[in-house]
Amino acid sequence: MPDISPRRLAWWLVRAYPPRFRQDVGLGLVDAIQDRMDARRTAGASRAGVWIPAMVDTIRNAPAEWLRAALEATARPPRRTMPVSRGRTMMDKLLQDIRYALRMWRRKPGFAFVAIATLALGIGANTAMFSIVNAVLLRPLPFRDAARIVSVWGRTNAFPRGLLSYAEYEEIRKQTGTFASMAFWLPQSVNITGTDEPQRLVGTFATGSFFEVLGLRAERGRLFTEEESAPGTGKPVVVISRNTWKRRFNSDPSAIGATLTVNGTPLTVVGVLEPPFNQDTAPNDGYFISADLFIPVAQFPVPNGLAAAGPVMLGVAKLAPGVAVARATADLDVIHKRLVASGVQSSAASRSSFTAQSGRSLFAEPAQESVVGTSRPALMLLFAAVGVVLLIACVNVSQLLLARAVDREREIALRAALGASRTAVARQLTVEALLLAVVSSIAGLAIGRLALASLAWLRPPANVPIPTDLPLDWPVLLFNGAVAIAVAMICGLAPALRTARPDISRVLQAGFRRASGAGRRTRDILAVVEMAMSVALVAVSALLIQSLLAVQQAPLGFDSSNVFTLQFRLPQSKYPTPDDIARFFKRTIENVRAVPGVQSAALVRAVPFSGNGGTIAYTVEGQPQPDPTSAPQALFHLVTPDYFKTMRIPILKGRDFTDRDDAQTPLVAVINDTFARRAFPGEDPIGKRFTTPQTQGPITIIGVVGDAKHYTATEPARAQLYAAHYQVPLIFSSLVARTTVEPMSVTDGIRKAIWAVDKDQPVWSIYSLETTVERTAGQSRFLALLLGIFAATALLLAGVGIYGVTSYGVSQRTHEIGIRLALGASGERVLREIVGRGVRLTIVAVAIGLTAAVLMGRLATAVLFGVKPTDPGALAGAAVVLGVVSLAATYLPARRAARVNPVVALAEE
Amino acid sequence: MTLRPVEFHILLALAEEERHGYGLLQEVAALTEGELQLEPGTLYRALHRMLKDGWVIESARRPAADVDDERRRYYRLTPAGRRIAVAEAERLSRLVSIARAHRLLARA
Repeated sequence: MPDISPRRLAWWLVRAYPPRFRQDVGLGLVDAIQDRMDARRTAGASRAGVWIPAMVDTIRNAPAEWLRAALEATARPPRRTMPVSRGRTMMDKLLQDIRYALRMWRRKPGFAFVAIATLALGIGANTAMFSIVNAVLLRPLPFRDAARIVSVWGRTNAFPRGLLSYAEYEEIRKQTGTFASMAFWLPQSVNITGTDEPQRLVGTFATGSFFEVLGLRAERGRLFTEEESAPGTGKPVVVISRNTWKRRFNSDPSAIGATLTVNGTPLTVVGVLEPPFNQDTAPNDGYFISADLFIPVAQFPVPNGLAAAGPVMLGVAKLAPGVAVARATADLDVIHKRLVASGVQSSAASRSSFTAQSGRSLFAEPAQESVVGTSRPALMLLFAAVGVVLLIACVNVSQLLLARAVDREREIALRAALGASRTAVARQLTVEALLLAVVSSIAGLAIGRLALASLAWLRPPANVPIPTDLPLDWPVLLFNGAVAIAVAMICGLAPALRTARPDISRVLQAGFRRASGAGRRTRDILAVVEMAMSVALVAVSALLIQSLLAVQQAPLGFDSSNVFTLQFRLPQSKYPTPDDIARFFKRTIENVRAVPGVQSAALVRAVPFSGNGGTIAYTVEGQPQPDPTSAPQALFHLVTPDYFKTMRIPILKGRDFTDRDDAQTPLVAVINDTFARRAFPGEDPIGKRFTTPQTQGPITIIGVVGDAKHYTATEPARAQLYAAHYQVPLIFSSLVARTTVEPMSVTDGIRKAIWAVDKDQPVWSIYSLETTVERTAGQSRFLALLLGIFAATALLLAGVGIYGVTSYGVSQRTHEIGIRLALGASGERVLREIVGRGVRLTIVAVAIGLTAAVLMGRLATAVLFGVKPTDPGALAGAAVVLGVVSLAATYLPARRAARVNPVVALAEE
Repeated sequence: MTLRPVEFHILLALAEEERHGYGLLQEVAALTEGELQLEPGTLYRALHRMLKDGWVIESARRPAADVDDERRRYYRLTPAGRRIAVAEAERLSRLVSIARAHRLLARA
């Protein structure tokens, strides 16, 4: 330790206190510190034992005294001018700048309020948006080694992310080195019977390895093993979720060992799954384990057993340590080729379903991507939009600061001439901007919370999950802090640059009232920037609104009004044969038709827009056999007679199914227009026959119907194939009924009609078809709504900015305008000149903004339908809207200028 | 407004005679039987407040020449400071009586 006398150290330490304090009691403190050190030394303390307490004392007290000094200073009445700062410490200067800024805010609370509110809104919206992006896109899935968990998909032309077959699953499991573990799973509705009332729960059919892949544990009892889940060695066991344990068993420990009748099969409860996270607050987390029950895949209801079923389930795997996703995909490719070549599948049905899948291949992708991938484009677009709104807010505040800095230019120049540091003013402005940013970002956190709450209120679609609360976790706080710093830099930059180099002689020579050419240029540039950004935002939101309209006006091919729908599944054990199922179907339809208010009713395997559905490969008889890997595909529907009538899908040729098209008669099918045109160009398809791998024998085409959308209003036209439900009965089906009354009002009648056939039969997904269709337009609606709000905010801010610039410019030129008016210039001419300037700026801004809009529109292509990013209507509309706003914002101050009274204006000097 | 303990101790230490800073530290330690060991910074921050509020004042009088150290600054109570010290002492005394009445303390 250097040899410094206690007195010198005492002097050093006292320098840490504020100047006023030092002035008042500094000498006394130096003495006391020295005395205390001397006393300790005399008492035999080591040098460190003397120094350290003195330093600790200073560290404890000096900052507190600074804070006190700062608070007292702001409480004092403001001084008129900015204090000269020379020969002080950095801390002094900084504190002085903060004090000065606070004093200015106090003097002009309006300015402070507008600036802070503008920035806080912008920062709040960004914080809210970021916390959504963070929760949805960035946060890892809540499983152990989440980064190594991948989804394994089968890719075909029709489905980029398709299911796997059990044979593929087994083959992938055999491959060691790529995956640490691999699982086969699928969530599906199950019927629970044997209790007071029939109930539908969501079951996840899974292999035992499912728990291993996701790192799940049993909270009570145990999970099932791979052997217990495999077809052949499977055991009748089931694992229940914690929620199911609570709801069905009142958290009773004796639930372990109890029996649950699932799809008609009694299963023994062996364990309760421990949820790995809080399921209530995590938006993504439900993807894998939101089910009520976990059931061995051996129990999966397929007619000829899992091994023969073709691709029916999802694949999820955990990569071996150090294996990249790309390598996993390459390995999967090898496995798939080997599988096809060796003909591992014994069953002909399953082999054909593989080879017939056009260009089928396997691939792995990070599970995170499978869970959140669909929400990415929408979220990124919204994120970009709020970023633009914040930029505009910054530019506005920058304008305000600049105007004030320019106001003080003369004072500053005078100081500079007298020798004051030129950087002092720039520093002061930067400090003020930083202070504004800090205060606004704190307010922004509160606004962000509010914003999220109101977002939930705007009914976001399911694939844009909104966290209900803004968690103040590190990523969000860091983001908020980073935004604050960026905001401070953007807001403070222009004014600081501008005032750091005042041209002293010019400013001093000029009169008090003068137009500052350079200041005006900076302000003009800022105005152009914010107008350009708002034009871009308005244009993009116009694109989205057009897209929304296009979605809503896209022809569906069916009439969704006044249609009641519900879903059900029959227990396989109760309806073992196709005849049993067909009998239930017929009786149900008869009963439902008799319900008052029901006009017609039919069954369909998958209700349009419900998300259910599947495809089938087909081969037309008498046409050259296509290469098995490129056999054409069609959407595959199963319907009962009257389906087309009920849905109002027009029959273009031939006939509908009848009750006589049943198991005893040859297979028949109805195709849609696109199918007819693709498979039978220029021919009459009626009477033509084709085969599919899933059905026995040829199928005869008996009719052609119009195209109908099945998944979304925006999907391209596809070949569709309708088979007779009575000829291919399945335990899963749905009811559609056209009503003469409000569709939901027949709910009770229809339920009773079904229960009259089987009192134990649960039904679910009871919606009007209109609701179901409307829901799929949710994302477009939500995006258009939010972007509309952002664009309106941007426009408002830009309008305020232009108004501010123009009226400030006018107020600066009052004197000049007064002289010109006095010399005979007409008010109209002054008006024209000022408005003309605004118009020129607007034209430049529109040109830049529309270019930006086209670029931003590219980002939006993924969510646009029926409209291109370069749509002239949207772009022109945005230009007109901004033009009107900017004209209004320029006209008002210009009119005021034109009415300046020359006498008053000149007298003001 | 309640008085801070440090402030009351300073008032007490100055009750009988004027003292310089380090003398105050020693007196406070002595009065509390070594229980309160103030550090100079803490003392002077309190002292600074009390000076501004007019409770204590820098003394112009100096003690006898043989014990004086000319560089030292001495502080003494103002009448206002004395009144505050008295008021605080009375308040504490009342509290002590109440404590006695509730048999928290033995009777004096």
